[in-house]
Amino acid sequence: MIVAEQKPFQEIRGLIASYEKILVLGCGTCMTVCGAGGEKEVSLLHGALRIAQARGGDESHSFLEYTVKRQCDSEFLDVLEDRVKELDAILSLGCGVGVQTVAARFPDTPVLPGVNTTFMGAAEELGVWDERCAACGDCRLAETAGICPITRCAKGILNGPCAGSKNGKCEANKDMDCAWTLIYKRLERLGQLEKMRRYYPPRNFRTIPRPRRITSKAGIELGGANG
Amino acid sequence: MDSALHDTYRSYSSNAAKRPSFDHTFVPPCQAACPLHMEIREYVDLIAQGRVMEALQVIREDNPFPSICAYICNHPCEDACRRGQIDKPIAIRALKRFAVEFGGDRVIQPEAETTHEERVAIVGSGSAGLSAAYYLRKLGYPVTVFEACSELGGMLRAGIPKYRLPREVLDTEVQRLIQMGVEIRTNTRVVSLDLLFDMDYKAVFITVGAAQSRRLGIEGEDKPGVVDAITFLREVNLGLRPSIGESVVVVGGGNVAVDAARTALRLDAKEVDLVCLESRQEMPAFESDIQAAVSEGIVINCSWGPRSIVGDDKVTGIEFVRCTSVFDGEGRFKPSFDESVKTSFTADTLIIAIGQVPQIPEDFRLRIGRGSTIRVDPVTLTTNREGVFAGGDAVTGPATVVQALATGRQAAFRIDDYLQHRYPLVGKEEKESLLGDLLPKTVEMIRKLNRFEPPVLPPQARAKQFEPVELVYDWESAVNEARRCLRCGMGAEILFQDKCAACLTCLRVCPYHVPYLDDSGTVQIPADQCQACGICVGECPARAIVLRKPQDRRHIDEELDHALKTAAQSKSKPLIIGFCCQYGLYGTGALARLWRQAKAGIWIVPVLCVAKIEAKHILRAFEMGAEGVFIAGCGQEQCAREDTAFWALQRIGKARKVLAQIGLEPKRLQAINLYPTETDPAKALDEFTEQVGELYLASAVGQEVKT
Amino acid sequence: MAKSLFEEKLNSDRFLVTTEVGPPKGVDISEMVHHIELLKDKVDAINITDHQSSVMRFPSLGGCLLVKEHGGEPILQMTTRDRNRLALQADLLLAYSQGIRNVLCLTGDSIDVGDHKEARPVFDLDSVQLIVTVRTMESGKDLGGTDLKGAPEFCIGASVHPAADFIEPQLIKFEKKVAAGAQFFQTQGVFNFDTLRRFMQYARQFDVKILAGIIVLASARMAQYMNDNVPGVIVPQAVIDELAGVEKGKGLQKGIEIAAGLIKTIKEANVCHGVHIMAVGRESIVPEILEAAGLGIGAHV
Repeated sequence: MIVAEQKPFQEIRGLIASYEKILVLGCGTCMTVCGAGGEKEVSLLHGALRIAQARGGDESHSFLEYTVKRQCDSEFLDVLEDRVKELDAILSLGCGVGVQTVAARFPDTPVLPGVNTTFMGAAEELGVWDERCAACGDCRLAETAGICPITRCAKGILNGPCAGSKNGKCEANKDMDCAWTLIYKRLERLGQLEKMRRYYPPRNFRTIPRPRRITSKAGIELGGANG
Repeated sequence: MDSALHDTYRSYSSNAAKRPSFDHTFVPPCQAACPLHMEIREYVDLIAQGRVMEALQVIREDNPFPSICAYICNHPCEDACRRGQIDKPIAIRALKRFAVEFGGDRVIQPEAETTHEERVAIVGSGSAGLSAAYYLRKLGYPVTVFEACSELGGMLRAGIPKYRLPREVLDTEVQRLIQMGVEIRTNTRVVSLDLLFDMDYKAVFITVGAAQSRRLGIEGEDKPGVVDAITFLREVNLGLRPSIGESVVVVGGGNVAVDAARTALRLDAKEVDLVCLESRQEMPAFESDIQAAVSEGIVINCSWGPRSIVGDDKVTGIEFVRCTSVFDGEGRFKPSFDESVKTSFTADTLIIAIGQVPQIPEDFRLRIGRGSTIRVDPVTLTTNREGVFAGGDAVTGPATVVQALATGRQAAFRIDDYLQHRYPLVGKEEKESLLGDLLPKTVEMIRKLNRFEPPVLPPQARAKQFEPVELVYDWESAVNEARRCLRCGMGAEILFQDKCAACLTCLRVCPYHVPYLDDSGTVQIPADQCQACGICVGECPARAIVLRKPQDRRHIDEELDHALKTAAQSKSKPLIIGFCCQYGLYGTGALARLWRQAKAGIWIVPVLCVAKIEAKHILRAFEMGAEGVFIAGCGQEQCAREDTAFWALQRIGKARKVLAQIGLEPKRLQAINLYPTETDPAKALDEFTEQVGELYLASAVGQEVKT
Repeated sequence: MAKSLFEEKLNSDRFLVTTEVGPPKGVDISEMVHHIELLKDKVDAINITDHQSSVMRFPSLGGCLLVKEHGGEPILQMTTRDRNRLALQADLLLAYSQGIRNVLCLTGDSIDVGDHKEARPVFDLDSVQLIVTVRTMESGKDLGGTDLKGAPEFCIGASVHPAADFIEPQLIKFEKKVAAGAQFFQTQGVFNFDTLRRFMQYARQFDVKILAGIIVLASARMAQYMNDNVPGVIVPQAVIDELAGVEKGKGLQKGIEIAAGLIKTIKEANVCHGVHIMAVGRESIVPEILEAAGLGIGAHV
């Protein structure tokens, strides 16, 4: 799940300051699940902006609210086509992907981000999300018993641990477990400690230059076997 | 705010905008079991909210004689009540009695006008006949009720003893019928149906009941001192005082036998024995009545079959042999005996109560079936004769009052169809019935509560008089008993599955573990498990979950709007809005006191449990001018649902965060009586009011300084 | 043929002493030079720390050049926190060209414990991979696989944590470093002789030289602070209590006493190949410790 957090309220007010007719646009997938930008949050934010404006006195925004199933696929935005002409800006509570898709779809309308997209993660318990995946593009979870050293180790090292682990916790954040302690314990449980004894050469960081692209289309050239 | 866009684009699918708000509740088991199909869940909930007069209105919609049922209905609803799967069923009948007595059912004057010419005759004034008379009159027909006896009521008058159904109650209902314009002809035995048609009645409803006692068919049955129960009861109930001895034996195991025994006890009898064929569990009489009889000192002797009555010029005793079984393998009545095991009872009075059959005059020329009952079509209630309908005990054999009332209603509508030359408009149930038992994982989480039993006269006080044994609830007991209701079938549903992101929040917040993931990974909220607490509705981030009952969905918004409108007119400042649980406002304890002490400037918005209050409601109150908002609940201890206080506080926390963002002090929002604290809630409210007052003054001054 | 003076000493049977000098946060290097002068003849080699505790400082490479300039034997501490593989390899080339022949390969403390908390952590390599990098360069190629025009040679060191509360993963790491080519180890601070002895029972099977890390504490409060905030330092309660027991102002004295005592015990027991004294900002007291431990002037040169 992509996990995000709504931007501080004052920051949002700053972003919308110079626009009049604003659509608060929610997303019905990841942002709903992580509680940052679903229909309920859209409604709440809208209400808060309205009240703030009433109390502030000197602004004049008018708001619409709507939530699409996903912002990251353009077809879901078709429904806004006619309305967009009347808008001065869209305040999107979608993740960074959504905001950019909306902006690309409606290039004549400013699109403002209402959330800070933070990480890919999972809910450990209701209302608590932890980062789990860094999208490194070179998944090595088989070697570390399903525990990612890139996200869960503060230094992201492959030949861990470092010497900073105390009481099973990380030197950088005492609330976080030392990933390599977890990896050791789970490899031990699986009887696969030899995986930790192997030397892992430096990572291929070439996956990082942005933006990455994945294509599932096959390039077919006509002729020969493709007659 | 552009509400047009908001409303039109309420969901993704293009059809959703046109989708109206259906009532998606299920028919609960109590209503399904009730022959009159009464909206029991609705009126019990209204009593729980303290809205007893409205409860009474709901009761009256479907029941022609609520006060009669309140006393003597055998409550198939309670037997079907799913609360019984947790602890004990809801005391529905006693609650109905509470509503009826509280509301003063007796004083209502019903009206009816005559809109048809066709006259209808009703033969017999028992439950079925009176019910048919009521409904036919309401439909606008001129109705005449013929009764052979001097008084109306049939078994209600002559069979059921006064300590179960006070005569004033029956008389009031009869009086009401008369006021509605029903013509009564007592002391008039109908001997020929042809005569009725000659008298220009267009339809006849035969409800002569089953008043002929069966005979034992053994030696000595005609001796003096032996009487059949129906005759005995009739004489007592009509004010005659038949002489009975001190030592009474009642033969039979049904309700009539128990009634006869308890009546005898209240006359001159010193010892009363009830002897029956059936084993204790097989006895057909109502369990509560059997227990009442036992507590009054009547001795129940089971599994005995009568052989001979002893005595010369009057009865002195009766002899029995052991009955080894009552029903054969196929459940037919076929008792078998062990003649070698004998017993005998001495008695100077013998009351025979082994069943009743209808007595239909041959001249009626009706086709008679098994048990001497009239044969009818089960849907139209027509007999073999044109224009002649039949119902009640005359058709079913001895049955219950509520069944007879339902038959009477059915007959009225079928007679109406007949007279207006229509096909029977048989009402099709639009809603599904709730099926299925509560799952163990749900049962586990429901708090067990003792049933509030209605108070009864102590056994000693009952012995020699015919006052009603059961007394009526006091207010607190009634409200608290009504709160035990599980509200089957009116909980939450995922109305917009296309909006559902399967975030599993509803699964995780439900205190009763009701929502689940089916095999295709879709979240389902089964209607037959949901306890209608409302927590998931407020927590769903996609707003995909709604309450099934349409009135519930916008309840808080409407109540809030109403309060705000009224408050606006009064102009008292500062305005404080208090969301208070309606169930607690009239109940016991702290919240009730709070309600009464609410001062000027405080406007109460009643909610049906604080679990349904969302941050948006709180914000709206502030947006529309409230200076302070508080949420007052029954307290988690008292609340009929689990975890409600926790979630109410979570929403308060969320609202406070938003308030802080828009420059309103978080302390303008307060929780009162959700969890126990040292401060008395009324005092807490006073302090809060004061605090809000100070904030209001400070901001008012601030405004002045600004300008 | 030993790759460096220090390596020669490692190969002898002598009990070795190294220490570290911390660079300044600024261009005023006078104090660092003073420390180098003070210590260069009293110890077998001097480490210059590399942004220790992720606090930005004058670079270790620069400090090593100064050590060399003043006639000392430098050990270049190199962490992978701040530089990617290109920069690390380049610095190794520079170091070698200026006569620096000893390198201590470390991963480095995380950015979060330092004073530039919003900086981007690099960690393009970890310590094991850095050791392999040095070895690769020694073989005449860079990490990209291209031949070098002139290959460096280093005596390679690494660190190990004998006092870790969960030792098994640390030992796995240690073995990986040995297999990768580390020749000597300077341990994280040990305060308990038994801990060191137990570790050495396991470690002596490997053909590497171990120098026990000795941290000089000045007070119970410092000890507690290091426990809570400094990665790799675990001070036993007994030591904290000992420090707490002295009167005000005598803390440092006690700390020196403890350190010296420990060094003496280690030397007499001959349990490892030497000690690495970390005076943490108090480089000037190192000579005093050496005296107290019986390793004074003349014992080493």
